[in-house]
Amino acid sequence: MRVLAIARASVLRVVRDRTAMFFIVVLPIVLIVLVGAIAHGVTSFRVGVLDLDSTGPSRALVADLARTPGVTVTRFSSLHALDTALARSDLDTGLIVPHGLAAAERAGRPIAVPVLAEQANSSQQAAAAQVVAVVQREGGRIQAAEFATHYGGGFARNLLRADVLAPRTPGVRLGEEAVRAKAVTLPAGYEYSAPTELVLFVFLTAIAGGATIIETRRLGMFDRMSAAPVSPRTIILGESLTYVAIAAVQSALLVAVGALAFGVSWGNPLAAVVLLLVWCLVGAGAGMVAGTLFRTPEQASAIGPVVGIAFAMLGGCMWPLSIVSPAMRAVGHVTPQAWAVDAWTNLLASHGTLLTIGRELGVLALFALGFFVIATVRLGRTLSAGRA
Amino acid sequence: MRTALAIARKDLRQRIRDRSALVVGVIAPVVIAGLMSFAFKGVENFTYTLGVVNLDHGAVSAGLVQALETPQLRHVVTVRPLPSAAVARSELRAGKLGAALVVPAGFSASVATSRPESLLTLSSDQFAIAGQVTKSIAASFVAQLNADRLSVATALAAGAPPSELSSLAGLASRLRIPLQSVERPLGAHQLKVISYYSPGMAIFFLLFTISYAARSFFVDRSQGMIERMRAAPVRPAEILLGKALSVFAYGSVSLLTIGVVTSLAFGADWGAPLPAIVIGLALILAVVFLTALVIGLSRTQRQAEGIASIVVFGLALLGGNFFFISSAPSVMKHLALLTPNGWALRAFTDLATIGGGFGTVVEPLVGILVFTAVVATAALLLAPRAVRV
Repeated sequence: MRVLAIARASVLRVVRDRTAMFFIVVLPIVLIVLVGAIAHGVTSFRVGVLDLDSTGPSRALVADLARTPGVTVTRFSSLHALDTALARSDLDTGLIVPHGLAAAERAGRPIAVPVLAEQANSSQQAAAAQVVAVVQREGGRIQAAEFATHYGGGFARNLLRADVLAPRTPGVRLGEEAVRAKAVTLPAGYEYSAPTELVLFVFLTAIAGGATIIETRRLGMFDRMSAAPVSPRTIILGESLTYVAIAAVQSALLVAVGALAFGVSWGNPLAAVVLLLVWCLVGAGAGMVAGTLFRTPEQASAIGPVVGIAFAMLGGCMWPLSIVSPAMRAVGHVTPQAWAVDAWTNLLASHGTLLTIGRELGVLALFALGFFVIATVRLGRTLSAGRA
Repeated sequence: MRTALAIARKDLRQRIRDRSALVVGVIAPVVIAGLMSFAFKGVENFTYTLGVVNLDHGAVSAGLVQALETPQLRHVVTVRPLPSAAVARSELRAGKLGAALVVPAGFSASVATSRPESLLTLSSDQFAIAGQVTKSIAASFVAQLNADRLSVATALAAGAPPSELSSLAGLASRLRIPLQSVERPLGAHQLKVISYYSPGMAIFFLLFTISYAARSFFVDRSQGMIERMRAAPVRPAEILLGKALSVFAYGSVSLLTIGVVTSLAFGADWGAPLPAIVIGLALILAVVFLTALVIGLSRTQRQAEGIASIVVFGLALLGGNFFFISSAPSVMKHLALLTPNGWALRAFTDLATIGGGFGTVVEPLVGILVFTAVVATAALLLAPRAVRV
């Protein structure tokens, strides 16, 4: 009962603090929306086009490019604007349709079509490969029309002939086969942002909340509690329960918002609930450690978020660990965040169950246990000193 | 002015004594920018492993394998020869390949016949873009073969005698597609991750000064410090100027230190120093007036902390300090330019990529100053309320 009373008093203090509520509820939801909108995954290359010719053939080339799957075309009216957009990474590559394209085609003259890409930038090279394929396909019909002109008919007529014949002429075809691969990342969109922001903020809130324990300590509340017939164990349990309760309420809110507002499926319900509970324990443990480690509330609220954000980065909450080097991936797994994100990836992307995330849950439980042991020992010392 | 300087000195001393100032002002932004730099080292670019199953071993397929090893593609594709399509499928399922290309047996010989064999691309649902790039590479390669075949067919339709089919095919095989794609380098440098996130993080933590300074003002007030200053022959304007100067000095030292450390330690490019410094100073001026506005809007320390948090995180989120603004939807790119930090980030990235001097930063500078002017007007209207005791 005393444990609950201590927890209740601490929870009320947090709930009445509007700034704390901003960080616990509003900020995570805003980030789920923003990151969800941005983390749509690379589904197409952004190609900027500058059509200096503005003729039928040049427009046909641009239209062909715009129809190509995996390519999004934006038209530009000056080379400077195109270069600037590329420099700002607003585009992956640029195509300049040269002046005189139509005239060169009619005259049977070869013409160079510049594709903008840096040799060392593989994203630009990959995008350029898509553009080059379209330019060559377009060039194929021109080659055919010019060649045929030696045997009869004009260029324009033969171009029409080539267009009619192209689908009927047996060429080397490209067969395609899609293979379903093992999921290494969370699905794109809100299914990526909701679980990762939950992992980030439950931990971040808890360690920034270490300030509450420091404040309690500084206000002499521990001493006053110790003067009453309350054992250090009861006080520690009460404080721990506060953190677990805040983490659980925050998690429940984020899960509900994710599911109701953004249609996030949180995977197997039993596995998701167990994972959430274990993560709340990890967060609560980390918060307790922060509360016993920092000296002043200023330190906790300045250093706590930095540690929380750094762990989130290392652990794959800010970007998928599948894109970093194997060494960074290994380093990332020193943080509990990486294990939690792995577990969510398994649940959401591979329809995992309690069994398939068993290893991750085990590691997370060890993290929680470790944090609580450290916090209990340190807080126990403080309380005993106060009692003495 | 001397009074204002004394107030600024006192505030700065207080700030430096608290170690969290060093953490937030220098250590945190450098550590986080460094982490980002290490995380993305060598993986900033798009690369994938392509499994190649060559069951043909003829002249045409050898040409295809050669095409995959051109200097342009070598940076994108790492070729891994595989014995069979089945192995390629299982490697794809295991996530070990981005895509695979299968050249069937007898492919080279079939190219000259009327029924050429097809090339097969295997793509993974986890690496859609690798599949598309593989298809483009294969399409580019077969484009010449198919253009030659189409040339013969069109020539026959135009009136070439069918009896000359083999000589037509010979002539066509010497043709080259007249549209030649030529690669041209950009008129700008490539933007490195570290060159985006160094200013990004420096600015984010600079914004925290708003919280700290606003809080310190209310702590001073609750301790009767402002009252005592007012009792002395000190004008309210001097108190505010002193506070503003301390924010300005702290912000300048923080930004400059992060700029120097990230440039030297991680190779971050902040662009030409003088225009970068001008943008930094304009941004710090915006922070000074934002602090004044937060103080003017708040009545208690708690309120100031709350309003400052919303201002700091609101600006950082809108301005693109947490993520590459270039990958955001266009509405967010426009919203970023309503914030001084969004403009500053644009200025720093433009200096690092497009280069140039003051000309490059004129537009961002105007953007920051307009924002500052609006905030300053609001802050000055509210200021008397804050120092009235």
